[in-house]
Amino acid sequence: MSGSFAIHHVDLSRAEPAVTDAEAALYIFWWKALPLGARVARPGELPLGPAQLRQLVAEFTAEQLAAREPELGAPLRATYEGKPHHVLTIECAEQIDRPIERLDRLAQPSTASGEGTSVVVCSRDRGAALAVCLASITRQRSPPGEIIVVDNSAQGSVQSICDRFSGVIYVHQPRPGLSTARNTGVRTATRDLIAFTDDDVEVHQGWLSEIARAFADSNVDAVTGLVLPASLDSPAQRCFEFDMGGFGSKFVPTIFEERFFAETRPYGAHVWTIGAGANMAFRRAAFEHAGLFDQRLGAGASGCSEDSEYWYRLLALGGTCLYEPRAVVFHHHRADWADLRRQVRAYMRGHVSALVAQYDAFNDRGNLRRLARQLPVYFVRTAIHSVLQDRRERRAMLVQEVLGWLAGLHYLLRPGWRLARVHRPTR
Amino acid sequence: MPVCTTSTSAWSRRRLRADTMAYKLVEIELSEPLAAITLASDQDGCGLIARWRERLIGFHLVALAPGSTLSAEQLEAIADENFAAGVLAAKIEDALRVISRSDSQRGRLSIAICTKDRAARLGRLLDALNRLAPEPTFAEIEVIVVDNASVDAETRDVVARFPSICYIFEPKTGLNFARNAALTAAKGDLVAYLDDDVVVDRGWLAGLAEAWRSCPDAGGFTGLVLPYRLDTKAQLLFELRGGFGRGFRRLEFRGARHGNPLYPVGAGEFGAGCNMAFKRALLIELGGFDEALDTGAPLPGGGDLDMFYRTIRSGHTMVYEPRYAVYHEHRETMLQLRRQYWSWGLGMMTFVVKSWRTDPVLRPLHRRMIRWWFGDRLRSFAKASLQLKGREISFALAELWGGIRGLAGEYDRSQVRVQAIRVSHT
Repeated sequence: MSGSFAIHHVDLSRAEPAVTDAEAALYIFWWKALPLGARVARPGELPLGPAQLRQLVAEFTAEQLAAREPELGAPLRATYEGKPHHVLTIECAEQIDRPIERLDRLAQPSTASGEGTSVVVCSRDRGAALAVCLASITRQRSPPGEIIVVDNSAQGSVQSICDRFSGVIYVHQPRPGLSTARNTGVRTATRDLIAFTDDDVEVHQGWLSEIARAFADSNVDAVTGLVLPASLDSPAQRCFEFDMGGFGSKFVPTIFEERFFAETRPYGAHVWTIGAGANMAFRRAAFEHAGLFDQRLGAGASGCSEDSEYWYRLLALGGTCLYEPRAVVFHHHRADWADLRRQVRAYMRGHVSALVAQYDAFNDRGNLRRLARQLPVYFVRTAIHSVLQDRRERRAMLVQEVLGWLAGLHYLLRPGWRLARVHRPTR
Repeated sequence: MPVCTTSTSAWSRRRLRADTMAYKLVEIELSEPLAAITLASDQDGCGLIARWRERLIGFHLVALAPGSTLSAEQLEAIADENFAAGVLAAKIEDALRVISRSDSQRGRLSIAICTKDRAARLGRLLDALNRLAPEPTFAEIEVIVVDNASVDAETRDVVARFPSICYIFEPKTGLNFARNAALTAAKGDLVAYLDDDVVVDRGWLAGLAEAWRSCPDAGGFTGLVLPYRLDTKAQLLFELRGGFGRGFRRLEFRGARHGNPLYPVGAGEFGAGCNMAFKRALLIELGGFDEALDTGAPLPGGGDLDMFYRTIRSGHTMVYEPRYAVYHEHRETMLQLRRQYWSWGLGMMTFVVKSWRTDPVLRPLHRRMIRWWFGDRLRSFAKASLQLKGREISFALAELWGGIRGLAGEYDRSQVRVQAIRVSHT
């Protein structure tokens, strides 16, 4: 897969969309404002004929209706792997009428106001990217109550960028660490909902409005959304998206609650399937209840997973998270190999550190099982597959993952680090 | 984020129990109330063939206690879990179809059945074809039976029972000789090939018509292959190990495919030779089937893979349509089953060697295919050995041994044999 690689957005609600491009591309299918699914095509694989398109629409519609229509059993709860439990019955399926009209209704853009939401963007020495991110936030269909940029650089390098956007609240937090920066954002924020995105992200026009709708429609503590790739021009970006699974783009809303947690904690609850820090939001009350982000975790500290550790804590304390793919952001993946390797290593190191932190806080041995059994098995499997399928790039990333895992293990051996935990069980 | 995924297949199977006997095949119509299923004392499971308003929706194997009864409620729960999503999607697809019904095409179809010494099974298939509802897409349908050097007259006698069937005797033994003989005799725009050990589903003709109408430019069509019966251990085992299952989604194959770096060299994902159809003009343009493949013993395979591959490589589309379905009588004994795996290995590698020679552009892919195939089969051999599963070890070894023979000059040997057959019949 060399050469150019496009990302096409196709609205299937328009009659007979021409899906006929000859270059390699990722097709993201929508029904108006509702993201339905994605598919990659290599040169020569297309066009999709009318029968294929019809099948595609039917399958996507069935999936959306099953996940969103209360008559069919919605909302769906997550299983172990983060996929939804299916509760659809044939009787319900037979009774549902006018499926396309229902889909039309589900695809109406949200009219909820972003006024009650503070948007927090943490940035560190990436002024150009931040400018693009802020521009996309100011273009929201329903603008946020406030935009807070937490500058996590030593010198405060992005202040001049923020000055270009009126109404952006600039806060300088020189102490490095994404968790520290996010906590600063939480303390600064004044609205009831706090939405986070990253400086390497562009948000969809309806992003904030969809987050507001998700909180209005359901009594959840946290909402996460869909993270799509903004560009796949470089091979490293494609490796991250396709070989490494990207941000695990799923297109159906899913509830993660106590039951998901209870069912999966013996095996190391797969909380990272809930979403990504680049597209997440919380009720302010959640922070009062469960505390702030763990400052030992995250980029700039242990590497990653401050977001998933927080969801873990929320679920462990009886909270609920909703994954709502209608809230869409576009992430700029790392464009060159050296950056990607560093990131993959940091992700795994951060993941392991979060497992240690979760084990210390809640004494769940599932975290250790994940760390000492699941991950090594995953490494061996990936190694065998990458050899059999001759995927050199995947193998190179695996090396980084193993290095990150080894680097993460040393957190186990640092009593000082482990004692500095934020949350102590009270029950 | 570390992402571990497990693949789940729509074609879901239960783990095989060591003492498996036989499974009962049951057809259920999901739009009507379901009835309880009672097993005979020598049956310890059932295979559910599910339809919704006649349309095939799914196939699912359920392990049960011998002689037990699956109540209507239990059956409903199983049906909900496995088929409800398919029903919903089918219903929506029907709703969409009403909007865009502009496709209709009329042409001629030749149905070609190649048979050798299996008169009873041939009769069964011809009966099933006779019962098919007429399909307006095809203005004319002819049925050609190619008797591939059967030793007695039984085959001819069976065909004589059906007045309008064209009977051809092909003295040169070999499935691809027979397929080419059918091609020479055929007059249709499409030639649909059927093996003599299948029975067509009642939606077979409509499924093929639908596939053709929806993709008139396609060069070839393949369809779903379900088990005809699961009465012996070998038949059940074959089904549980994957069978011919390629699922209930319609697929179109063109020059490339994301997610399969070896495409189109594998060729197995396109379908199976026991139920395939091609444009007659394309077959003639490609020079017909390679008579050195699918020769019957000692090289009983590879001919279908070769034709699928050549269709794709000539720039034509292949369509897989689940409604274009047949039921296949699987091998009855373990010995036959092991031989089938051996012949798969042999046919596959012979096909790869042949394609490597004739299609230099894709040689790197062929080399990778050989490496992947042997790596993959060695892995299943190692897995079976570690788990001390004697039968799995023997299947893996049979397939590996077939692969090695295929790689080691089988295509040349077969060409010599085939040439000798040709000479002896001129």
